[in-house]
Amino acid sequence: MTTELLDAPMKTIPGQAVDLRTELRAVCARIAPVWPLESFVAVNPYFGMSDLGFGSVASRLEKVAGARTTLATREYLALIARGEITPDDIQKALHRVGEEGVTAAMFLDRVRALEGLPPFSPRVPTLGETAADVTGSDWARLADDRIATWAGSYFDQGQALWPAAATDAGPYASWKREACIDRTPEVMGLAGVRKAAAALPENPLTAADNALKSLGLGSVERELYLHALLMRLGGWSALASQRQWNAGLAGGEDDTLLELLCIRLAWEHLLFQCVKHPALKERWAERRLTLLRLSLDTLPSESLRDRLLLQDAYDLSEQRRLRAFFPSSCIPSAPDAPARPVTQAVFCIDVRSEIFRRHLEAVAPGMETIGFAGFFGFPIALQPLGHEKAHPQCPVFFQPAHTIHEGLGDPALDSKATRRRRWKGHVQRAWTSFKMGAISCFSFVGPIGLAYLPKLFTDAFGLTRPVSRPDHDGLDKSWVQLLAPQAGGDHGLSVPERVALAKGALTAMSLTGNFAPLVLLVGHGSSTVNNPHAAGLDCGACGGRSGDANARVAVEVLNDPAVRQALQDDGINIPSDTLFLAGRHDTTTDRMDIYNLDRIPSTHMAALETLQRQLGQAGRLARAERARRLGIDADTNTDRAVLARSRDWAQVRPEWGLAGCSAFVAAPRTCTAGMNLDGRSFLHSYDWQQDKDFAVLELILTAPVVVASWISLQYYASTVDNQLFGSGNKTLHNVIGRIGVVEGNGGDLRVGLPWQSLHDGQRLQHPPHRLNVILQAPREAVERILEQHEIVRNLFDNGWCFLHLLDERGALAESYIGSGRWDSVA
Amino acid sequence: MQTTPDAYVFLVLLPAALFALLGGWAGWKPHSPARRFGSWIMVAGWVNLLAALTGAAITVGQGTQLSLTLGPVLWGFSARLDALSALVWLMIALLTVVILRYSRTYLDGDPRQTTFLGRMGLTIACVQTLVLAGNLGLLFAAWVGTSLSLHRLLVFYPERRAARLAAWKKFVAARLGDLCLFGAVVCLGSHFGTGDLETIFQAFRQGGEGVASFSFLGVTGLLLALAAMLKSAQFPFHGWLVEVMETPTPVSALLHAGILNAGPFLVVRLSPILHEAVGGSALLVLVGGFTGWLASAALLSQPSVKVALGYSSAAHMGFMLMVAGLGVYPAVMLHLVAHSFYKAHAFLSSGSVVDAAKSKGIPLPARRGNIPRVAASLGIALLVYAIFAWAWGVNPLDHPSLLAVGAILVLGIGQIIAPTLDSVGPRTATAMACLMAMGVAIAFFSLEAGAHALLHGILPHSTTPPPPILLLALLVVLTYLGAVVTQMLLPVLSRNPRLYAWSVHLRNGLYANAMLDRLAGSLRRHHASTHFS
Repeated sequence: MTTELLDAPMKTIPGQAVDLRTELRAVCARIAPVWPLESFVAVNPYFGMSDLGFGSVASRLEKVAGARTTLATREYLALIARGEITPDDIQKALHRVGEEGVTAAMFLDRVRALEGLPPFSPRVPTLGETAADVTGSDWARLADDRIATWAGSYFDQGQALWPAAATDAGPYASWKREACIDRTPEVMGLAGVRKAAAALPENPLTAADNALKSLGLGSVERELYLHALLMRLGGWSALASQRQWNAGLAGGEDDTLLELLCIRLAWEHLLFQCVKHPALKERWAERRLTLLRLSLDTLPSESLRDRLLLQDAYDLSEQRRLRAFFPSSCIPSAPDAPARPVTQAVFCIDVRSEIFRRHLEAVAPGMETIGFAGFFGFPIALQPLGHEKAHPQCPVFFQPAHTIHEGLGDPALDSKATRRRRWKGHVQRAWTSFKMGAISCFSFVGPIGLAYLPKLFTDAFGLTRPVSRPDHDGLDKSWVQLLAPQAGGDHGLSVPERVALAKGALTAMSLTGNFAPLVLLVGHGSSTVNNPHAAGLDCGACGGRSGDANARVAVEVLNDPAVRQALQDDGINIPSDTLFLAGRHDTTTDRMDIYNLDRIPSTHMAALETLQRQLGQAGRLARAERARRLGIDADTNTDRAVLARSRDWAQVRPEWGLAGCSAFVAAPRTCTAGMNLDGRSFLHSYDWQQDKDFAVLELILTAPVVVASWISLQYYASTVDNQLFGSGNKTLHNVIGRIGVVEGNGGDLRVGLPWQSLHDGQRLQHPPHRLNVILQAPREAVERILEQHEIVRNLFDNGWCFLHLLDERGALAESYIGSGRWDSVA
Repeated sequence: MQTTPDAYVFLVLLPAALFALLGGWAGWKPHSPARRFGSWIMVAGWVNLLAALTGAAITVGQGTQLSLTLGPVLWGFSARLDALSALVWLMIALLTVVILRYSRTYLDGDPRQTTFLGRMGLTIACVQTLVLAGNLGLLFAAWVGTSLSLHRLLVFYPERRAARLAAWKKFVAARLGDLCLFGAVVCLGSHFGTGDLETIFQAFRQGGEGVASFSFLGVTGLLLALAAMLKSAQFPFHGWLVEVMETPTPVSALLHAGILNAGPFLVVRLSPILHEAVGGSALLVLVGGFTGWLASAALLSQPSVKVALGYSSAAHMGFMLMVAGLGVYPAVMLHLVAHSFYKAHAFLSSGSVVDAAKSKGIPLPARRGNIPRVAASLGIALLVYAIFAWAWGVNPLDHPSLLAVGAILVLGIGQIIAPTLDSVGPRTATAMACLMAMGVAIAFFSLEAGAHALLHGILPHSTTPPPPILLLALLVVLTYLGAVVTQMLLPVLSRNPRLYAWSVHLRNGLYANAMLDRLAGSLRRHHASTHFS
């Protein structure tokens, strides 16, 4: 689905600009999107380049952005010294790349000899940098700063009360308007910029064309050059790219990123015209030759080749560790009718579920836990009460199929609450304009400022939140209790829609028979305070939101007698004594809440009480396990310490999120039951013997595996190059436009994860491995799906993820080594 | 009021000494475990708070307390505990507890956390000494020390180029400020033959020959005003303030809530002198009033939360200096304390703005941009003000300075009413806005009265300012009126090309910072690029 998105047909416009447009769009497609903070989902920052091999992307990013795509040699040598990477791993990695004659010892000798030398990594030159070199003044940085300043205003989602950018115009037109007014370049010593900007053409493509022609860039060297320009503003480019993503899902097109590229090109042109230096033209001509050479030479540098090999060896060491987990312990599912479980609990595949599931199974005999994407196959959008827009609650690859309204269960009450919420919002806006307004802020602070003294203390001690919870904002306490997504009612789901959703979800979960009396669907979310990246800790399968809404809608549908009746025609018989329940796993505190307890029939009360007790026990055990990793002293009350973290406004590590993720397993739970996977594995329940025509396997490979690969590569890239693909130091974060963060007072928008989410101050909490996808499925079926889906094939063929198969006894038997070849693991 | 100097008053400097000691320890042993060092400095924080509370109680019960002077009378060492210093000490102590507690968690895992906490300790020690100094010499030393220790915090991440640049600009402005303060101290010391604040204040209180013969009074006033302006990031030296988010959030909280206040504090501390110096006061009204306008308007167009807060602080400092120039010193102190708590909270909670983004989907009634309705909003605000002024028995017409402050309050509360009255929303919301406006007015009058009661004994009484200052005040109020009305009409004016151009100029702070950047050589390349082959 995502490939189609990129190959969407280009709008054709008359004249010569057609080719240029196609060319520029192709470069833009190299930039992976980033989501706004309120729905901050994990994105693979290499996404636009996954059609290329890992090594060539590493080489390319080194040239265009000075990016690091591996750890430093010194860090690998430390891993070798600690024995985490063995000579055997290195030998194997050498073997894989065909370096047969080289032994691990010889290789390491060379690596050690080269380690101290300064790395030779030529960068793609731009005109701005050339101008900086000849004049000694960094005009390229000035250009970046001016564009970033404009972008901050242009993309602002309501922070500034008086936005200083023409947001009603397209990006290029808006920027051009500003460039004709902004005196900063002149003040900084670059005369004539406003005049030159005013002379720029109205059409962004014409401006780009003029710039490219005047810079004398041919078609061969353009691609790297343009890519380098975009990477100079990588964060803002990624945000612009997200607009294209959204437009693409709806079948449309968006030119924000294309225009941003034209803006950056126009600045190159402005610099070429306005930087008066006799040597500039000549130096640029030299640099063009460098550019041409870099464009033609696609091989990675020697130092990079070594580091890539060391990374291969590092990943092999992780696979060695994983292999020990799968020593053919799988009890094949009994052919005769299995015993009916007491309770079934469906958790998100998220690595954080693994800890809770393990402890729950240990304390609850007869409990079966199931792993499935946390939106439970219900691709909905949720429209909060009184809001005008709905937000997607499904993986970002999907366009939500249904909009569910949040309500209180009574239309009259809903409209009353809506009125109240809007009224409060209206009054709140007046108060904000008083508090933040020019001049009026003086009248605010004198009389009202003292009220912040008690608040300072209650917030500091976790008794209150700095701002009220947005989901409960403007609603009475009694209403908050009633607030729920309404699957019924005027905006609800019709019976045929319900049946289709229920069937799809149950089939994909491999849950089509042997239902327990209680089936708990567990959505998950986090609870943190004052954390700009809070949504990054929520459910990725729900688009960076808490998954409880999906669970609640799914439960309402699956408990619907009409739906159960219809499902019987498809051979899915849900016993009448089976009750579906919705819950929410708080991943920060390991608390588990179950919804609609007042609607539980008395027949299930006893079972429910037992379940709640077990969930409480499992939560305590999970907290105790996580507390160790959070560095909470063993002699403190871990329950209280973990809870306090979730309410602490100064806490930069409320939980570890998905740090450490290294494997994705799609197999029956029996293959992993009883193993301590350390909260580092995505677990998807899958039984290939139930999967006729392998439709479920196809779904798993094209959706959850891709999501997991995005998460894994986000962590990977943020770890190995936090400057470019991570968001830096959390203590310096400055939220801009309510959509993203910059580090310090400005500059490029930051993408990816903060350093504090990856590193505990002593060591990396996310060892940068590429994801190991482990399936229990017939090889032929897997191969067929790889053939059909380029995007999945690229993941494995190009070295972004690894693919392994379990045999029928659950042992790790085969590893895919690319281009349709497999290596048996003996 | 007992004013016999006593040695026990030196005890008020003990907590500051404790912080300095811890700061020194952290500098000496930067690798001592941060968790343990954090506990120590928290203990110091709580001890300081207890001491400040005790100090406040003593002041309330027994009035001003003065210590003996150690060393030469001009540059000696003495402490002074009066309503002003006790108030600000208590404020700093409260903030310190919250900010240090925040820093302990926030920087957990940073390998240099001990260094960070130590530098915080040193800075707190300096600023607290500045507040409690009873002598010009100690005051000056603490003034310089505050700036130098703050500098170490601003470049806590020395590898950040932008941090170094901002800190450099701050450093230069601060040294100019030091020179000004030094000049003022020398003028005062050489004329009165002492650095003892009480002796100088007495001389001004009694007036007569001692003051009349002070030929450098005008110069001293100007130097003091300049020192305060340079310390508190007034135009055109505001640039560094909006750029020092290059250092962890708690430093911003401490800076904006604690240290920036040194400017207004200096002016109020030495108000007996400034009150007699028309030139200095006029300069404060002019520059403070202008910065208040520029920075609070620039704040409107800032898309990033911390930069907006930076402009906001510059604006508030401008406002306080202006009010000080008008001679309403208790109002300055009320504003100073209230602003500190507000701003500390705003910085420490700045990560929460994303929550606000989640509420933005609620549709709100459209604004009309109707001029009569905007005028009516201001009319209601004026009425609310008049009613409460009457109820409190204040006749602002008797006190032109209070009239100016009152006019600014009216403009402010008009901003609560206009967004509801000038919209298609329900009337109940307008009624609610009017109620809120009244609440603000009540809070204003009672708190102003409280501040007056607390401080009138030690600060010069508000008198009718001389004509040049009145004229400037009128100019400021009219400018502010223009800014508020423009803002109220933004819904209809936002497409006006001239206004758009102004939004760009204002967002860039009228380019004053770019000019300083150029002087600082911010674009200079120190090393020729070696990336290219």
